[in-house]
Amino acid sequence: MMDWYPVFLRELLIFRRRLLKFGYLLSAMMLPIIYFIVFGLGLGRMVQMEGKSYLSFLIPGLVAMTSMTNSYTWIANSINLNRLYFKTFQVLYLAPISYSAIIIGEVLAGMLKGLLAASLIIVVGFLSYPNFGLSLPFLLALFLNCFLFASLGFCVGMSAKGHEETATYFNFFILPMGFFCGTFFPIERIPDFLKPVVFVLPLTYTNILIRKETFDTLALGCVLVLVFYSVILFGLGFRVIKNYSE
Amino acid sequence: MKKNSFYVSYLSIKGISSMIKVEGLVKYYGKVKAVDGVSFEIKSGEIFGLLGPNGAGKTTIVKILTTLTKPDAGRCFINGFNVIEKAYEIKKLIGVVPQENNLDRDLTVYENLFVYGKLHKTSQLKEKIKNLLETVGLWERKDALVSKLSGGMQRRLLLARALLSDPKVLFLDEPSIGLDPQIRRHLWEIIKRIKNQGKTVFLTTHYIEEAEALCDKVGILSKGRLIALGTPSELKQSAGLFTVEYIDKEGRLKLWTFKTKDEAYEFAKKNELPLIIRETNLEDIFIKLTGERIE
Repeated sequence: MMDWYPVFLRELLIFRRRLLKFGYLLSAMMLPIIYFIVFGLGLGRMVQMEGKSYLSFLIPGLVAMTSMTNSYTWIANSINLNRLYFKTFQVLYLAPISYSAIIIGEVLAGMLKGLLAASLIIVVGFLSYPNFGLSLPFLLALFLNCFLFASLGFCVGMSAKGHEETATYFNFFILPMGFFCGTFFPIERIPDFLKPVVFVLPLTYTNILIRKETFDTLALGCVLVLVFYSVILFGLGFRVIKNYSE
Repeated sequence: MKKNSFYVSYLSIKGISSMIKVEGLVKYYGKVKAVDGVSFEIKSGEIFGLLGPNGAGKTTIVKILTTLTKPDAGRCFINGFNVIEKAYEIKKLIGVVPQENNLDRDLTVYENLFVYGKLHKTSQLKEKIKNLLETVGLWERKDALVSKLSGGMQRRLLLARALLSDPKVLFLDEPSIGLDPQIRRHLWEIIKRIKNQGKTVFLTTHYIEEAEALCDKVGILSKGRLIALGTPSELKQSAGLFTVEYIDKEGRLKLWTFKTKDEAYEFAKKNELPLIIRETNLEDIFIKLTGERIE
């Protein structure tokens, strides 16, 4: 039952050592902090959102975006590099554990990294915006978002034929999602022709859910969509590793 | 226990005594036939060496037998288990030292073994790690990061890692690649000790001396095809125990093999050329069969 634990433990030990290296955290947090300063403290002072300050809108969005990029990037890169260059993925594959144990261990490690990065933004939120609070929908959105994008990272890391390909997925998929799916401005303001695209992308639903105070119908709908995407991506990851052949 | 006894009797009824059995293995990479109809059997407790030049298909065969690669045709069995259908059982039986040093460079020597032991549910893990690190002479370096180890130390750590789960079959893909001769001999001693523990060893190599020093049985592989199979002495006997070697003015090597030393002398006397008469080695057999050199 706990077959996933050594997979998770390995990632944790590596992560702990990376954290101690100067610059790791700084580089992971660079973009959200820049966005926070430029959009939140700079532009944001000129913006009022339905009577509330722009920061109260921006910070949950940054939490969603940061948890997405961190959950995704670490897993996609580490699986891909470990599979193609360092060949340490093969050590996991050759262990007498189930395929799902490998995915669960890796996805949990990706989630942990996403949650850690998100918690730093949350701290910034508490410091800069006194009324900032964590609702249940907020926590569920964060949790599902990390799971979903860690699973996506696993699929990409397993399928991409090289480091450039994981970077391409990031530039064409993850990064635009961070900008268009309601991180910086409400989705209603998006031009109509882009709306069908935006409503296909999962981060949109995280951004709606993460700003909800209670579970109303819309919030529950978002939960369903996020769970749907999570199950699909996790299942896809399982299929990829089951059919793995070098 | 019940399952085990059933299994043993099943094997004896079937008359299976081989630990590894490969039948008509084929693997394509695109249009290239990397493995071309390879069949062989390895008995329990043997050291089997797959000898051949780089690109002959040795690593592909190891990857197929260790469940990493799925073949396009053919079947293989380890301890009676079909490698394709029973990957989980196979993984419990084997230890693998790959060609690449695939250790976690950001983890210490000890952490690498600890995680591996946990992955393989190894009992009495701490004692086993200590014993194995002492065997390969790395206990003193247990807290060193793998990235700080020399290439030779990393190879020894890989061997210790593969042995940690007490596998029945050990796969060594080019175990001594890049090692200097002294360390290579030390590694051979360890491999012989592993055999003495009753384990079956499957190794690939392109070093003739390695195959001759270690292997009970040798398969010679060229361009994906198994061109010779037998004990080193059987192979030499069939080729001729004595070789006459001649290198012409352009540096090209010519070989003739003979059953007896007298025949070789006789031949050398007839030719007034600077010839060398020596005992046949496995590379001579490879050259004779393919017209090419291994290394």
